[in-house]
Amino acid sequence: MNDEPMTHETARGLAAAYVLGALEPAEEAAVREHLQTCAEPHDEFAELGGVVPYLVELPGLELVEPPASLRDRIMAAAAADLAERTATVSPVPAESTPRLAEALAASAASPVAAPPPAAASPGPTLPFPSAAERSERSARRGASPLAWAARIAAVVAIVILGGWNLVLQGQLSDARAYDRAVAAVIDAAGKPGSQTVVLTPTKDSRGAGIAAVAPDGSVVMAMRDLPATAGSQVYEAWVIAAGSPAPVPVGSFTVGQAGTVAFTTTPVTTPPGSTIALSLEPGPGSTTPRGTIVATGVSALPKS
Amino acid sequence: MNNEFGPRGRVASAADDADRAVLVLVAAGQLDALQELYDKYRVMAYSIALRITADASLAEDVVQDAFLGAWRNASRYVEGKGSVKTWLLSIVHHRAVDAVRRRRPTVELPEREDVPPAAMTLPDIWPEVAGNLDREEIAAALTSLSDVQREALELAYFGGLTQQEIAVQTGTPLGTVKSRVRLGLLAMRRALVGTDGNAAGDAAGGDRSGDPGGGALA
Repeated sequence: MNDEPMTHETARGLAAAYVLGALEPAEEAAVREHLQTCAEPHDEFAELGGVVPYLVELPGLELVEPPASLRDRIMAAAAADLAERTATVSPVPAESTPRLAEALAASAASPVAAPPPAAASPGPTLPFPSAAERSERSARRGASPLAWAARIAAVVAIVILGGWNLVLQGQLSDARAYDRAVAAVIDAAGKPGSQTVVLTPTKDSRGAGIAAVAPDGSVVMAMRDLPATAGSQVYEAWVIAAGSPAPVPVGSFTVGQAGTVAFTTTPVTTPPGSTIALSLEPGPGSTTPRGTIVATGVSALPKS
Repeated sequence: MNNEFGPRGRVASAADDADRAVLVLVAAGQLDALQELYDKYRVMAYSIALRITADASLAEDVVQDAFLGAWRNASRYVEGKGSVKTWLLSIVHHRAVDAVRRRRPTVELPEREDVPPAAMTLPDIWPEVAGNLDREEIAAALTSLSDVQREALELAYFGGLTQQEIAVQTGTPLGTVKSRVRLGLLAMRRALVGTDGNAAGDAAGGDRSGDPGGGALA
């Protein structure tokens, strides 16, 4: 290959191999450049390119159903991408909460209104930075749109996927309830002195969500994807205060088929760095966790 | 573009229209539209990726990569008028071939774009005709290939081999491989669209009302 621009005739002659992806890299690059710069018609590229997808009908293509988990991976990645897109447009933290609201509204997902503007409280209530990131970020305030975006992406994925799954299942009232739960968490997280928590499922468990620890120590949470409780089963919420080994029960609830819940715990002392956990208990009234811990998260003060 | 094969601007098949409507929503960032697209084409997409990579986990990565590419670039597609299915499966195919080549360290990877070249999504009567093809017609077109043409196309499409690699692997002169690839694709197009302008015009005239096409393979 040389560096001379490819002639129109040469490019046309390579159309078949080009649309098949069967050219050597240098040739392929030269053809692409030609297509981008040449004003002549290139009918054969579209004509032959249109044939290529039918090569899948060449004998021997076995149709295989992909694993169900692939859909979840793709949808979660797309939701995170959506959040990143909306977040990176505006890296300034003060504007990011409204962006989140837009992202929520944009998830066709949800016919429900995004959290009201009141929930878009001033100040950066949401990216749940780690302690290290917090000190780093205070050094260069608002300088890290990507880290910011990644944090929001995680949260928005939780929020959107939850509501969106419900909408797909036609459970509109559940979707609305979930939306309100998320709005309540955002509301609580916006109050000065509140901490935020991302709850993630433990190994072999299901259930994820976000929570805010109000200044009085009560935990406002929105959870999705929890297995429904049966019989006398309840989910018990626990606070393991930073520096204390003992889990304190802070309230219990049941979960229906929708798998979502909005719940506010009884207030206990919850300094930053406390662990919030949910366990599935055989019945109410546990004073120490006896059942399975299904989800946990650690509380942190948002950057101020 | 010539109009040897029929009038331009003909209304596309209903399946293509439906796909395009979904893609507009995908371009607008609507997740449920993406899921709809995924559910319609996941089997086809995964099967292609699996055939090319022969590796289930790599095939999953390829499909994820392809659908995310479609998700991010749907707005670029919307400006075109080709078949969504063609576009989508082309992305899957490109990504799968790239993934296979990446495993062969001797091959330098071209800097491919996220999506197939614009030429492949240019307005063309082809997708509109093809949207009305059923599997028997496609299978019949494939039988119009000679054995050596079929072998060359198969090694390129499912094997991810370049023409030069095909020449080496089959012990055939490069010029011969190039002819087989080109004549093979031309033969398929002729067989699918018709042997001359009149036959194609008939196909493009919308008389085939059978299989809507889009979902037939998925």
